[in-house]
Amino acid sequence: MAMSVDEIRDKVKRSIASITFIDPEKFDDSTSYEVDLAIDSLSILEIVVDVEYQFQIKVPEDELSAIRTIGDTVNTVQKYLYAEVV
Amino acid sequence: MQPRVVVTGIGTVTSIGIGCALFWDSLLSGRCGISAVQSFDTSSYNVHRGAEVRDFCGEAFVSKLSCNRIGRASQFAIAAARLALGDANLDMRMLDAERVGVTIGTTSGEPQMIERFDDAAVSGELNSIGPEFMRFYPCHVIAAHVASELNIEGVNVTIPTACAAGNYAIAHAFDVLRAGRADLMLAGGSDSFSRITYTGFARLGAIAPEVCQPFDRNRKGMVPGEGAGVLVLEPLERAIARQARIYAEVVGYGLSCDAHHMTAAHPFGAARAMEKALSESRIEPEQVSYISAHGTGTPTNDRIETSAVKRVFKDAAYRTPISSIKSMLGHSMGAASAIEAAVCALAIFHGRVPPTINLEEPDPECDLDYVPNCARELDVNVAMNNAYAFGGNNASLMLRKIEA
Amino acid sequence: MERRVVITGAGVISSLGDSPARLHTALCEGRTGLRAIELFNTTGLGCHLGGEVASFSAKTYLGEKNFRPLDRTSQLVAATAEMALDRSGWSVEMRGQHEVGLALGTMFCSVHTISQFDQRALVAGPAYASPMDFSNTVLNAAAGQTAIWHNLRGVNSTIAAGSASGLQAIIYASELIRSGRSEAILAGGADELCFESFYGFNRAELLCGSNHSPGDFPIPFDKRRNGFALGEGAALLMLEDAELAAERGASALAEISGQGSGFDPSRGTDSRKSVAAIARAVSLSLNDAHVTPDEIDCLSMSANGSVRTDRHEAAAVAAVLGARANAISVTAIKSMLGETLGASGAMQVISLMEAMRDGALPGISQLNEVEGDFPLRKAGPDTQKLDLSRGLINSVGFDGGCCSMVLTRCE
Repeated sequence: MAMSVDEIRDKVKRSIASITFIDPEKFDDSTSYEVDLAIDSLSILEIVVDVEYQFQIKVPEDELSAIRTIGDTVNTVQKYLYAEVV
Repeated sequence: MQPRVVVTGIGTVTSIGIGCALFWDSLLSGRCGISAVQSFDTSSYNVHRGAEVRDFCGEAFVSKLSCNRIGRASQFAIAAARLALGDANLDMRMLDAERVGVTIGTTSGEPQMIERFDDAAVSGELNSIGPEFMRFYPCHVIAAHVASELNIEGVNVTIPTACAAGNYAIAHAFDVLRAGRADLMLAGGSDSFSRITYTGFARLGAIAPEVCQPFDRNRKGMVPGEGAGVLVLEPLERAIARQARIYAEVVGYGLSCDAHHMTAAHPFGAARAMEKALSESRIEPEQVSYISAHGTGTPTNDRIETSAVKRVFKDAAYRTPISSIKSMLGHSMGAASAIEAAVCALAIFHGRVPPTINLEEPDPECDLDYVPNCARELDVNVAMNNAYAFGGNNASLMLRKIEA
Repeated sequence: MERRVVITGAGVISSLGDSPARLHTALCEGRTGLRAIELFNTTGLGCHLGGEVASFSAKTYLGEKNFRPLDRTSQLVAATAEMALDRSGWSVEMRGQHEVGLALGTMFCSVHTISQFDQRALVAGPAYASPMDFSNTVLNAAAGQTAIWHNLRGVNSTIAAGSASGLQAIIYASELIRSGRSEAILAGGADELCFESFYGFNRAELLCGSNHSPGDFPIPFDKRRNGFALGEGAALLMLEDAELAAERGASALAEISGQGSGFDPSRGTDSRKSVAAIARAVSLSLNDAHVTPDEIDCLSMSANGSVRTDRHEAAAVAAVLGARANAISVTAIKSMLGETLGASGAMQVISLMEAMRDGALPGISQLNEVEGDFPLRKAGPDTQKLDLSRGLINSVGFDGGCCSMVLTRCE
């Protein structure tokens, strides 16, 4: 059964919370890693890799730096989660 | 009165030559040791190149210990140590073993041992791992194996400060000699190619797909390598008394810690290590003839390193040749700064400096004289060797020509 | 004029307590930190005993912070550093103005992290390897993490010398102070208890009970001993230049008066060479301190229950001390802490400092019967009330390395 956007968002937020220990209640789609959460590039990469791992997707290297907000992350997951289905 | 410390022997195991003479020739001719990785399967990685040491025959250098049991980094270190002693025209039987010591730096220790453990664990065959795992894995075995093979009985330490480890080991050996706790030190660094290291740097997106191009505008990253470099260090008086060939004098060093980030460098830390090294050696920046850069080839390192050099050297930065041999050797991790220290000693002795190869398009943010592509004749009176590591460990080593 | 090196504060996290005083009390009461391991599964392994730091939580010491970037070893070191800095009076402000260093001894640093990182990449593929875990796979990770956490911008180094790493790091640090390169430097060591190293030691039949002899007898010097038990923890001392410490009004708890190191090229296989190397380290440290054996009040031995090494160490010390060997008081705290590897030498320093402060030397727990030719006749299980002003500490590493230190009480 396909995952809904909300389910994806929820899983992404949990991943972020486990790495940053920031309360996920404080997140929304516009939350930016660097500006709003003030986390460094290593933590951002850890989040991206963990999200890839949790969803079993592979994001091309040249798209990684475009992932700046939680919304970007959710969109990227959607794009690659169903890429094969399409 | 503290003794002055000099370099009287050099031994190197590298992807462009084993042994000082071959290595130096290769370096000056711009030979590159980077090629397709062979020691493990990289098909599931998005990068595939490394600087491995090909055709290394441990049995040529190891006789008392067994190459079937000791790890590759230990074999490299023993080889480099034997080569250094030979280069210094020394025979351990002529020396008081209690007054000789060994300090070796490393990043990964003996990674094949833990990789084997992990392979076994993952395939449910952990009981195939025998007693040799604990005997030959922990990283202190590297310095221990060198001393055991050569029957050395003095100070014995492995200093695993990652990519700056070689400089740390040489610095410590320098201090041991100055304090009169030894008459001779074998100091350097050793690392073997590691799947774990390769995986990590690949995951960080730090590995270049084809070549290593330090300071080039289009540089794409570092290339993991392996190897070893060991120097023979001894008090000047003893070197003179036995009419040793003296490459250079080690005059001082500076160590600093960024205390900033585990993997990203901070320019202040690098500058601080340089300042401390210059200050202790009582050398002004303008007196430095050549800098051996850390120069990994990553976009960030080279930019930050350049800015740190300018911070310390100011205008003199533009008049001081600075080259990165990682353009040829890749990044041999803990061995890198030891090999680079050897290069500084050779540069001083021979009056030539190696190039930074693959430098095709200058980067406006990296606008110093990186000795692009061709080795250069240069009267090197003072050389500075810089190294920066994960964990913010920074080390700068100063070498100087000995007066005739 | 040579600079003198003093200790102005200490921090420890061990299976017997998280302060020097608590550790000392437990050791003097003969309590053991060794119990059935809970951190990981020991089914099928001959030994099940370990000196675990039970319920360790970094936030107890460092507050509610994000500890995800630090693995367990780094957390142990950062937490211990917090206490050592606090006790020596090195505030956040002062660390901003001065460069405080860190020299950390460790045998494995984070072999558990290294293994987990590698295994995940093997199973799931290298694309899913954890970047954050990778930063903790380097052997200087704990030292680096601790420096970041506490703004330690002085000399930062990691020393690997097997189980002698901690004392070797303290020696390294004290030499930096003597040479004027460092004014204040935290020095000591750490190693965590984890499946990977436990499995390895067990497989090498070095742990008590692992070679299928009945029972667990990690008792130093005891006739029944059949190996050591593995412990864990972190211990750090604040080392300072004596004059500068006095200038800032800090109390000097003890002085590092002398040190010496040696190496046995047979790596323990030739008894004569093993004994000679340890004897050399002891001799060098006495000479360095300009003291004779008669001026040493007590011994803190490295002995951990290893069949051969315990014997070598006793023979070596006796050879150097001569007649004094029979009159000198002896302790071996690994009898209660187990072999804490990189932390061990630093824990011995802290224990000896407390013993000198309190006037009580812990006994060697459960020591019942020594071998016939055992030369240190005053070794025994009971804690002794003694006025101690100077002690000798030994740390014997695996694979041939060893070092010794003379510690003197400061009045």
